[in-house]
Amino acid sequence: MTSTRDWFGTALVEIAREYDHVVVVNCDLAKATRTLQFKEKFPDRFFECGIAEANAIGVAAGLAQEGFRPFVASFGHFLTGKFLEIFQTVGLNDAGVVLVGTHAGLAIGRDGPTQMGLRDLALMRTLPNVRVFQPADGTETWQMMTHLATDRRPSYLRLCRQSQPEVHADGYRFRFGIPHVVREGADVVVFAMGGTVPVAVEAADRLAADGVTPTVVNVSSLPVDRATVARLVGTHRQAVVVEDHYLVGGLADEVGRIVLSLPGRPRFDVLAVPDYGQAGPPEDLYRRYRLDAAGIAARIAAHLQDAVR
Amino acid sequence: MRGEGVVAGPAERADVARIARLATRCRLVLLEMIHRGGSGHAGSSLSCTDIISVLKFDQMDWSADRSAGDVFVLSKGHAAPAWYAALIVDGDLPAEEIGTLRALDSRLQGHPDRTRLGLVDVSTGALGQGLSVAVGRALARRLHGRDSTAYCLLGDGECQEGQVWEAFLYAGAHRVSGLVAIIDHNGSQSDGAVDDILPLRPLADKLRAFGWHVDEVDGHDHGELRDALRRREPDRPSAIIAHTRKGRLGPGRVLLDGSHSDLPSAAEYAAAVDFLETLLEGGA
Repeated sequence: MTSTRDWFGTALVEIAREYDHVVVVNCDLAKATRTLQFKEKFPDRFFECGIAEANAIGVAAGLAQEGFRPFVASFGHFLTGKFLEIFQTVGLNDAGVVLVGTHAGLAIGRDGPTQMGLRDLALMRTLPNVRVFQPADGTETWQMMTHLATDRRPSYLRLCRQSQPEVHADGYRFRFGIPHVVREGADVVVFAMGGTVPVAVEAADRLAADGVTPTVVNVSSLPVDRATVARLVGTHRQAVVVEDHYLVGGLADEVGRIVLSLPGRPRFDVLAVPDYGQAGPPEDLYRRYRLDAAGIAARIAAHLQDAVR
Repeated sequence: MRGEGVVAGPAERADVARIARLATRCRLVLLEMIHRGGSGHAGSSLSCTDIISVLKFDQMDWSADRSAGDVFVLSKGHAAPAWYAALIVDGDLPAEEIGTLRALDSRLQGHPDRTRLGLVDVSTGALGQGLSVAVGRALARRLHGRDSTAYCLLGDGECQEGQVWEAFLYAGAHRVSGLVAIIDHNGSQSDGAVDDILPLRPLADKLRAFGWHVDEVDGHDHGELRDALRRREPDRPSAIIAHTRKGRLGPGRVLLDGSHSDLPSAAEYAAAVDFLETLLEGGA
């Protein structure tokens, strides 16, 4: 069990060995975002901007315009908070910056909502040329990092603090925009992203005991391929989105837009954070917001019962 | 200190006269753009026309293919017509585009957009962001071992933005060389005088305290501007505070009493054109 931020830190050093144009712009969070190893190995390619994220984003855009591939790392909440700067300096310049937002979702726990990356997807998805990536495990993080190092487009990489099990089998190949089925089932299709993927798998395990077999899909990059989502929704009776993000503006909006365009009004439900969030132990928070395996399983079971009635 | 070690010979004096003529032509072009488009910041564009002219026609190593040379960031993006005019006067943009300012599908967006016009080095518009990008470009050039300069033109009102000071702090602390910030200090912003809205004084002292080399010049004096640009130091960033007048057309003449964004009427436009053409006929 390792967190995707840890996988990111390790992969970053490896891709930096291979690709000279990879640089890091830091905002006084090298330890927390796991760019510290990079700093130690490549001090000349590490730019410390201090607690000044707006300037850091601009500096990164300038580096990108000169041919470098800068990874600007901070908590996702802080980084995407500089939205006006990202909109103009990264977006409207089409600057090939990788914005790395760590501590996605409720998992930072006791630090509370001023540190939680719960509205970063909503902000980044408004920008037409910014691609979003969120790996679900180590296998996927490594592949995404190679993809990001060799790509030149503005990107947002969303990473988790909590440790996660591997959900992908050997031989998995990440393809941008293509959702990946990590658990084949029937009845209901569950779309998850990053930290919620293994939790949704665990919920599926619980439901299996009652004869319910959900399909679990990892949507690890946005915008998502419409045809794949439509096919998955079309072959199930219900679609559910589980996300560690506010209810508005995240994966649910993405999948929901596709569901709305399908014939036959498939049943659609969303499990997400409906308020600002609050401080508390992460396990308590996920239980309270019903984003733990028990909460997800209960919600799906209730829906299937409704459908039978 | 002004002009120290720089004594202009006859050729240089003639060169300054050349820049002055080109600046006057830029004013004619930008006023025509704004007049025909029916929109645009005439006052803000006129206050930095002389600064842009010295950079574009004399000091910058800037070519339209954008593969090498210096970088120009117009952080006060609302002065875009002044940059477009310099491109047109220098032959980088066709004069036919004068009538397309702010029009649908035009390359000449209301604020500079590099995704639509490759002759814009950095897209700007929301204030306070350009200097950070210029810092990044200067750092990249240092890493690449290239000897070139990133120039950034800021407004004085723009310096009320916090990000500008993040960039001043970073560049001064890291002694980022190959970086020149020019502040178009016309003393005026949207709602009134900078001194009334939120004073910057003492601006030069603040910048020096942030580790920058600082010069103060008359921002309409091409010779002073050029001398200041030559005086920069090799191992730290340079700032030039260029004292200007918003709406300046030429000696003794200001458009619309220095308004930030008012449009000249047909009569005011015609009078401004007459004044500028007379200047050109007089050799300035």
